[in-house]
Amino acid sequence: MSYVEVPLARLSLVALLVAVAVAVSFRARLDLERSILWASARGVAQLLAVGYALRLLFAHEHVASLAAALTAMLLVAAWTASRRVEHAPAALFLPALAAIGAGGLIALVPVFALVIVPTPWYSGRYVIPIAGMMLSNAMNVVALTFERIFASARSEAPVIEQLLALGASPEQALHAQVRSALRAAMTPTLNGLLTVGLVALPGMMTGQIVSGIDPGSAVRYQLVVLFQLAAVAATSGWVAATLSRRMLFTARAQLRPDGAPPPGER
Amino acid sequence: MEPPRPGPPRLTATGLTLSRGGRRLLDAVDFRVDAREVVCVEGPSGCGKSTLLRVLATLLEADAGEVFLDGVAAHALPPRLFRRRVAYVPQQAPMLDGTVADNVATGPRLRGERLAPASVAQRLLQVGLDAAFADRRARELSGGERQRVALARALANEPEILLLDEPTAALDARAAEVVLERVRALCREGLGVVVVSHEPAHAIALGALRRAMREGRLGPAEEARA
Repeated sequence: MSYVEVPLARLSLVALLVAVAVAVSFRARLDLERSILWASARGVAQLLAVGYALRLLFAHEHVASLAAALTAMLLVAAWTASRRVEHAPAALFLPALAAIGAGGLIALVPVFALVIVPTPWYSGRYVIPIAGMMLSNAMNVVALTFERIFASARSEAPVIEQLLALGASPEQALHAQVRSALRAAMTPTLNGLLTVGLVALPGMMTGQIVSGIDPGSAVRYQLVVLFQLAAVAATSGWVAATLSRRMLFTARAQLRPDGAPPPGER
Repeated sequence: MEPPRPGPPRLTATGLTLSRGGRRLLDAVDFRVDAREVVCVEGPSGCGKSTLLRVLATLLEADAGEVFLDGVAAHALPPRLFRRRVAYVPQQAPMLDGTVADNVATGPRLRGERLAPASVAQRLLQVGLDAAFADRRARELSGGERQRVALARALANEPEILLLDEPTAALDARAAEVVLERVRALCREGLGVVVVSHEPAHAIALGALRRAMREGRLGPAEEARA
């Protein structure tokens, strides 16, 4: 089977596709031209950098370089998930780091120990792309969980406080909010499982098929990844929810005033 | 003139002080309510009376001062135990998802206990609601019905102290009279009741010990204006 390379000259042709997007934005007065150009330029720079970094990483396989790459990915994911969350009662970076890290560990360690066993085990070619998918899914789940729990704790503060007054533990008082946040955060992952192959071939499988791998083998990899994603979503979401609850309540089972509207002086 | 104080002091507080956003909502408030006693806290809106109630319910932490139940500091008691013994019904208490029966049974359910339908019906009758209300969706009730379901829900925990924030605000005159009569009866049965109200007539109807709140300070009420 032959592999079709993309020469740089032809690659530059796809810049025209960006021009299409810019033209549409201009014509429809979306006022997005600058954003499209900036995002495209960033995408080019980030991918070029990643391409070189991966080439370097694969050429000098070493535990330390793999660990450094994974750490950097984890830090960026945690930083992204903890930004722009409204009504957070405390700094979210460390909780995000813990939640994403926990999901990543649960999904990655058993799989690379027992299912996809590369030699050496720290082979970046396998670990980096799969870890990237896991951390990115964890990042989205954690951001969504934080966002929804803090927003609903604020809007439903009277209900939560009424439950506390009736003798609920913080866990009981926040149960409905945690449940709906986790369900919402897991929905995209579950939809992915339900529609896989029907709407789109997932990225991993697409990549393997394009590079000439037998579809049967590609399917096996994709199944591993999909099940990993489900575990990541559940674990990271659950850890994020548990940490959110700790942030929302005092040690004496009171809803923190800065997580709720000011004391209602009516 | 203070009415006689039967029995031991039940819910007390000393030196409660609380500021929020540069405003002093509670200023060195001392408070006491005994069993079989109604204390009515009166005052203009924004004077700190709702805040006092939430601090007494341990839902809000004061910057200084302490709440005591039967002489034991609230800090020394598990919050869930304290709140079972000291019930709090906010103004416009929110209804939870489900039926009226689900709402009334919430307190026992949170402890893993089941409140029998007969007990639910009895709690509803106590607040002047027909047992047929048990199957209604709680969030579809009128304001006055909600207020009474909230009271029944609080009573299902069999508390010793009842903290009520404007319990008659959403009620018409007849429903208000039912609730006031019910509060009087609960008091006779041994509960200590604290009522926050802007309506002096209700305090008088309850035979309450009247205290007035003004800019975070608690003092004796002015002469009755009713």
